[in-house]
Amino acid sequence: MEKKTFEPPVIKKLNAGMPSKFGMTPRIEAIPEIEGHKVKDLLKDHGSPLYVLSENTLRSTYRQAYQAFSTRYPKVQFAWSYKTNYLAAVCNVFHQEGAWAEVVSGFEYHKALKNGVLPQYIIFNGPSKSYEDLKTATEKGSLIHIDHFDELYMLMEVAEETGKKPLVAIRVNMDTGIYPRWDRFGFNYDNGEAWEAINRIMLSEKMELAGLHTHIGTYIMTAQAYRVAASKLADLAVSTERKYGHVIRYIDLGGGFASKNTLKGAYVPGTDTAPSFDDYADAITGALINSAIKPEHLPLLILETGRAMIDDAGYLLGTVIANKRLASGRRALITNVGVNLLFTSFWYEHQIHPAEKVSQHTEDTTIYGPLCMNIDVLRAAVDFPLLKKGDHFVIKRIGAYNMTQWLQFIEYRPNVVMIDTQGTPHIIRRREDLDYMTRQEELPDHLKNFEL
Amino acid sequence: MEIKAYISRIAESSGNSYAQVFFSRNKLFALLLLGVSFIDLYAGLSGLLAVVVTIITAFLFGFNETRITEGSYGFNSLLVGLGLGIYYQPGLEFYFIVVMASLLTLFISVALEGVIGKYYLPYLSIPFILSIWIVLLAARQFDHLGISERGIYTLNELYGLGGSRLVAIHEKINNLFPVSLRLYFLSLAAIFFQTKILAGILIAIGLFLYSRIAFTLSLLGFYTAYLFYLLLGVNLAETSYSYIGFNYILTAIAIGGFYLIPSVWTYGWAILLTPLVAILTISLDPVFAVFKVPVYSLPFNIMVLLFLYVLKFRTSGKKRLKEVLIQQFSPEKNLYYDHNSRERFDPRFLFSFRLPFSGQWLVSQGHDGEYTHKDDWRHAWDFVIEGPDGKTFRDEGNLLSDYFCYDKNVLATGYGIVETVEDGIDDNDIGDVNLIKNWGNTVIIKHAEGLYSKMSHLKKDSIQVRKGDTVKPGDIIGKVGNSGRSPYPHLHFQFQATPFIGSPTLYYPFGSYLKYEDDRPSLVNYGIPAKGETVANMEVNELLAKAFRFVPGQKIRFTPDAQVPLKGFLWEVKTNVYNQSYLYCPETGSKAWFRSEDNIFYFTGFEGKKDALLYYFFLAAYRVYKGFYKEITVTDSYPLHLVYSKTQLILQDLLAPFFIYLQADFELKYTWMDNPVMPARLKTESVARTRRGSKRSRKEIRFVLELNGTGIAAMAISDGKNLMKVKCAD
Repeated sequence: MEKKTFEPPVIKKLNAGMPSKFGMTPRIEAIPEIEGHKVKDLLKDHGSPLYVLSENTLRSTYRQAYQAFSTRYPKVQFAWSYKTNYLAAVCNVFHQEGAWAEVVSGFEYHKALKNGVLPQYIIFNGPSKSYEDLKTATEKGSLIHIDHFDELYMLMEVAEETGKKPLVAIRVNMDTGIYPRWDRFGFNYDNGEAWEAINRIMLSEKMELAGLHTHIGTYIMTAQAYRVAASKLADLAVSTERKYGHVIRYIDLGGGFASKNTLKGAYVPGTDTAPSFDDYADAITGALINSAIKPEHLPLLILETGRAMIDDAGYLLGTVIANKRLASGRRALITNVGVNLLFTSFWYEHQIHPAEKVSQHTEDTTIYGPLCMNIDVLRAAVDFPLLKKGDHFVIKRIGAYNMTQWLQFIEYRPNVVMIDTQGTPHIIRRREDLDYMTRQEELPDHLKNFEL
Repeated sequence: MEIKAYISRIAESSGNSYAQVFFSRNKLFALLLLGVSFIDLYAGLSGLLAVVVTIITAFLFGFNETRITEGSYGFNSLLVGLGLGIYYQPGLEFYFIVVMASLLTLFISVALEGVIGKYYLPYLSIPFILSIWIVLLAARQFDHLGISERGIYTLNELYGLGGSRLVAIHEKINNLFPVSLRLYFLSLAAIFFQTKILAGILIAIGLFLYSRIAFTLSLLGFYTAYLFYLLLGVNLAETSYSYIGFNYILTAIAIGGFYLIPSVWTYGWAILLTPLVAILTISLDPVFAVFKVPVYSLPFNIMVLLFLYVLKFRTSGKKRLKEVLIQQFSPEKNLYYDHNSRERFDPRFLFSFRLPFSGQWLVSQGHDGEYTHKDDWRHAWDFVIEGPDGKTFRDEGNLLSDYFCYDKNVLATGYGIVETVEDGIDDNDIGDVNLIKNWGNTVIIKHAEGLYSKMSHLKKDSIQVRKGDTVKPGDIIGKVGNSGRSPYPHLHFQFQATPFIGSPTLYYPFGSYLKYEDDRPSLVNYGIPAKGETVANMEVNELLAKAFRFVPGQKIRFTPDAQVPLKGFLWEVKTNVYNQSYLYCPETGSKAWFRSEDNIFYFTGFEGKKDALLYYFFLAAYRVYKGFYKEITVTDSYPLHLVYSKTQLILQDLLAPFFIYLQADFELKYTWMDNPVMPARLKTESVARTRRGSKRSRKEIRFVLELNGTGIAAMAISDGKNLMKVKCAD
């Protein structure tokens, strides 16, 4: 008989199967292995904590998303949102699947080029492109999405200097019936700013207006918002064709599809509320097909889905450092995974699973990270099994943003492993070390020596 | 028109009239025959006079210019002129008779064309026979026409021309050949009313130059007859029969290689028909002896017309003895075009249909399927969508909405009119079937007479068209549902010949589409997607579509980059009366015939000069799909005679009716595009190479075509030695 794990005894109010207003207390299942690899083996081989990405999930999620759109609309293209996760291995999985690159900074632009993406397959978004960035993108023939008038004027200068017509789209923001309304990016549709921008571009004749772009927000819980967005962009395309005889070649609906993580403060888990790719696809393609755009001029539909594409493929593995009883009597768990590695814990109630089998007994617990900072809380209150020091745990759905927004604060960032489609783990980003951390530092001569 | 142009057209038409006697339009052969006809000066003059008079009259009457130019009206008059020229002494009266006879021949030709032309039968040399008989019978009363003795006393004449030496040479040549071969040459010569073996040899050489197949057939026809006569105990060498040897030769060429695509079968029939021609000849001879007129080529005419007419009543087996549809006036060209088009096209299918959906779909039941696609309904498809894990549904698949294909748009497959709409049938739960309304919600679209497409099991109340609506490819018809005999959502699609729900299916392929294997697309042209295949429509690229549209009247001008050994840098897009489009190069007179459909452009033929730039473009863009897909390779094969030189083909020509061992392959790849959303320039790379069996020859020509927003921007041609570049000048 297998030896049972010891769990310290707890005293808990009996709750005889009666559901509270949130329903039954969810049972937290253990995740002992990922794609056939035992969690403890992965941690032993690659150290703790550890990021694990599943290539299988990346590819199958991409294919699901692509299929949802391509079986509804004849011309569909995805562009991988670099800011969501720009590890080269991740990007290249998506590029192999056929995705272009969507970048929002000069750094990301050059990263995409370094990954081997041909410049004509890079979409350059974002509000802060420099003159040099715009010049490079123009010369190389990338797609430039203009965010504001100052950028538009700057691009006109670039066009004059380079003698090349940049291929552009304008980013449009609009009321799609949801809150918050993102009006800080792009030109507003509802007050006519976007139409004015289009007119200026068309009349300047210094650039080629290839597309229209919007990104209505993030973690959008209703597909209807996309229907509104797609129709408004279609209206602009129709007006442009009517006034200038110029065909808009693509409509870029950006990203913002919700992943299945649960937002903080949500009543029901994200798995139950997040619309599927099919829901989004139905809304967007339906709006475009039913728009007044001439059927023979149906634009290419570009999507920059990031979060929903990769969240499910990522796991963060960690180890319990200590158990603690707070002064209030609450149980506290201190782990080696903090907000430095799990930036998204500011937004989500992340699901944390023990890596080994546990009993049904749970206790209201606060889970802390290792940082020497008060805000380092992974979960403020969760009914959690009774893990001991040294026990392992798995945090699901962490693929998006955590590997780009991670903090380099008092700790080295750990190894990132990708399990390929054959089941072999590959380190795709090596754990940092002292040399890496200090490589960029310069020490003035007079500070080199000291005596204590 | 200028006088010069008139003269050149009359000259061309006359030349072709000479070659037409042997079903040819070969200029060299025509010249040779002209020369042969002048072996007897007066006969030659009389023949030429007859041709020229006929051609000019035909032009003045305003008959079909193509027919005049290809020599179809002239060759009968030529024979009449030659025949009369041999019989009678020259003189003013005689030439008057020749002119009259020419007119008569022309009228008979045109009239016969009207009478039997509508049965798609040629009039062969019947006009000649009729008019020469008429003239011969009448001429007995014309005292002023003197009978010529030329051609009867060959040796005398030769002596008169070149003394005893010429006679000796003549004898030497004569003795060079066995009797049968001598007879063969004499029979050939007799076609031009010549009696000298030299004439026969020259004609034989010309025949070989014109067509190896025709030459082989002439020998085959003649020797079969020779043997048959031996078998009957008649010696063909006896002079009375020598004049009719050509009947066998002409019959063999006509049946064996000209009106039918040369093959083992036509050769067989050329042999089989020979005894019949012989019997005809022998039986007709005494009949016409009564009137003291020769039979001439009557047996040949009767046999060939009879046979060709009989063939038209076949209801099957048309692949064995295949009629020539577009006459190239060369057995080889007919054969190579036919062989090539058999590989390239199926003439049964004139419409190119799209797949009735968007994105990649899986064929869950194909033709002759294991569930319901049987018997009368066997040519049908069921389509579903397969998810990344190989299942066609998500979760447990207990709900309609779990199925990936459910609620997806069903699109019109081609241009048409909505013929039948049935809606209002409930969608079944998973696993249930409705056997009463087994087709479920259905739309039937009429594309042409006897060609309908039917989409069934659609979602209730999803149909967006009404009876009488016109639709175009890609229009939304409705959504995939689960109505009728459908246990799980899928799209049933079939072509049918009648507009009813429940009609039997019709075998008809989809036009060009992409087939995915391991996520790599390949191109299928006119294919029947099979069970288990994942297929998708091809999306058209705007640059390719524009460059390969070629609007009639359009002119395309090129400038060579450097010294380029090519001709003809200006092309025009033209369309003839049969609605066939071609690129025309006025400088070289070359034509490249093409078809441009919604998503494909291809050349169907080329005639003209091989040093024309147009020829290289024909090779470079032989078949172009208008979608830009880097992963795919377009392959095709050229008709041999358009790639190989004449000398390279001599052996192949001789063997071609039985066995084709040479190949000329075309390959094209889409290599580069400046940007994928608003492309301004793109490149294709293609190669034309020859192959013997599986052995590739080292010789190949590589092409790079560059397109921009206006069309073909540049072309680079490299044949291993030279790199030639041209740019579009517009």
